[in-house]
Amino acid sequence: MTAEEKQMIDYVLKRIRKPNLTIDENTSLVLSGLVDSMALGDLLLTLEDLTHKRIPPGAVKPKDLDTVAKMFATAARVGKPQK
Amino acid sequence: MRAVTRSAPFHLLEWHVLRYHNLVEALEASPGDRPFLTFWVNEDDQETVTFGEFRHRARRQARVLREHGVQAGDRVIIIMPPAIAAMAVFAGAMMLGALPAFLAYPNDRVEPSKYRSGLAGVTANLKAKLVVIDEAFPDELLGHVSLGNETGLLRVQDGRGAAGDEELPRLNVATESVAFIQHSAGTTGLQKGVALTHAAVLRQLEHLSRTLQIDGVIDRIYSWLPLYHDMGLIACFMLPMVYHLPVVMQSPLDWVMYPETMLQVITEHRCTLGWLPNFAFQFVPRRTRPSRRTQYDLSSLRALVNCSEPVRSSSMQEFYDAFAPIGLKRGVLQSSYAMAENVFAVTQSDLSQKASPAFVCADGREFRSAHRVVPVEEGCPGSISFASSGRLLPNHQLRIVSDAGTTLDSGHVGEILIKSDCLFDGYYNRPDLTAKAIVDGWYHTGDLGFCLNDELYVVGRKKDLIIVGGENIYPQDVEDIVATNPAIHDGRVVAMGRYNPDLGTEEIVVVAEVECEENLTNAEEIEREVRGRIAAGLGVTAGMIFLKPPKWIVKSTAGKAARSTTLEKLRREHPELDIESQETA
Repeated sequence: MTAEEKQMIDYVLKRIRKPNLTIDENTSLVLSGLVDSMALGDLLLTLEDLTHKRIPPGAVKPKDLDTVAKMFATAARVGKPQK
Repeated sequence: MRAVTRSAPFHLLEWHVLRYHNLVEALEASPGDRPFLTFWVNEDDQETVTFGEFRHRARRQARVLREHGVQAGDRVIIIMPPAIAAMAVFAGAMMLGALPAFLAYPNDRVEPSKYRSGLAGVTANLKAKLVVIDEAFPDELLGHVSLGNETGLLRVQDGRGAAGDEELPRLNVATESVAFIQHSAGTTGLQKGVALTHAAVLRQLEHLSRTLQIDGVIDRIYSWLPLYHDMGLIACFMLPMVYHLPVVMQSPLDWVMYPETMLQVITEHRCTLGWLPNFAFQFVPRRTRPSRRTQYDLSSLRALVNCSEPVRSSSMQEFYDAFAPIGLKRGVLQSSYAMAENVFAVTQSDLSQKASPAFVCADGREFRSAHRVVPVEEGCPGSISFASSGRLLPNHQLRIVSDAGTTLDSGHVGEILIKSDCLFDGYYNRPDLTAKAIVDGWYHTGDLGFCLNDELYVVGRKKDLIIVGGENIYPQDVEDIVATNPAIHDGRVVAMGRYNPDLGTEEIVVVAEVECEENLTNAEEIEREVRGRIAAGLGVTAGMIFLKPPKWIVKSTAGKAARSTTLEKLRREHPELDIESQETA
């Protein structure tokens, strides 16, 4: 697991606010309902910060953000240099 | 007995769009080379169709529908993402004289069995001829689509193709015939389909365009709204289709994932008009980085209308504070009271004032005990504030009535009844529900509100009202107070009434999610603090308070707390409560 993935996991845990929950980079977050749709925008902003990439609108579906591993794979696939 | 009326003799009004007999005629009369729909995905990916190209696509879809047996009067259910293709199918169905109805597109997390029963319920009620889905409709759900013998299933392509008009016979659609059927949300089988005639829709659009001072040259509409909702369907599809205005739209999902793109679209396309539910006025500023706002310019906007939820001044102020530095003008943020049963708007705030909607601060105790508004100074202890939803549209009448049906005077709170020349004919195939809703020509909205200086203020839903010892308590007020406790998750609170036979009146029941599960170890203290706040703020004592872990409260498809479903869940977990709330009254 990369340092950025670890940071994203920490961010997600902070957002989910369940004390005894443990997640790893392959834990389903979106499809399992742990993260709601209103939080997707916050996840994307954090992903942009951690990858220093811009994730263009329309290139990402909720299922692309389902796990932390998928988030970073998505950023690598569709991310563009930040302006 | 007084009714608020805004009407003028019909001959005094210039009925611009009423020269059309039906909505299809209005589309056929549009200038072919004028841009109509732009579907915005990002700055490099957007598609614009002119009115001519849209007509062409609609005709193609009409031909496909006809090949599948659709005829005049048949119901066609459309379950497609809110985009140009879905709109072309809708218009194509109308070209055949069929009655289209949009339903919500399933999201990634929909439960197949729930989806199946919901869709089966709606198709059975409509006796639909065809259910139209898109190519991307999830295969895993397809096996769960259960349709009656009379209902077919059709996957359509996006309707693009070589130029050239598909010939369709000219259909004489009567002005008073039903044009389409609107459903309020989701695909629950219990939904009521609102049947709207061409005449009602055309009249509503005429009123709306006059009130909004629609300018066919400069106006351009921005929308991320779903098409099954009246804001999306009427304000952002029918209005521009009939008045030949351009619309720039993006998917609701893209908007919720990238709220900042709303600023980008408005800036790029110099949009002038838009409609948003109240929560969006908080959602967008809270999810756009201040450092990135400066690249946008909202000075083109002349009206952004807060609609479909009770209007909150604080939400509009938050939006204004965030975006005034990038050109948002004070008078742009406006309000409206609208419902599918009246096609769309009943009231609209006055754009000519170049100011925010009217606002009143009222004595809280008088409001709750005497159910009337006694204005007080802003910030006065114990006061509550209300934002106006504006004044009646032309040819509309309104009454505020008590439970006994007596018409109340200005400043008194009661149920809102409306009568207009664009009221719906009834709920499709549900004469029982129609008879309850429309009595002597007055539609009983189920909403509570009051009139003051000819402005309508909407305060909540009648069925949600909690009455404690004769005092009217609005669940939203309780929820707002509870959410001020930092241990409680803002927006995840539901308040309701429960009849307490020992007291002979209702008591307030609160269900609230804590911010994090650890807070539950401190539940007693949180509960005590919340009780204190309710007592201090409303002057009444709360009955039971349930603190629940995160994600406990059931949310609607729009992301808001689903009051009735949450209540059902509470009943299941706490059967000992034997709750008899207003929900079941």
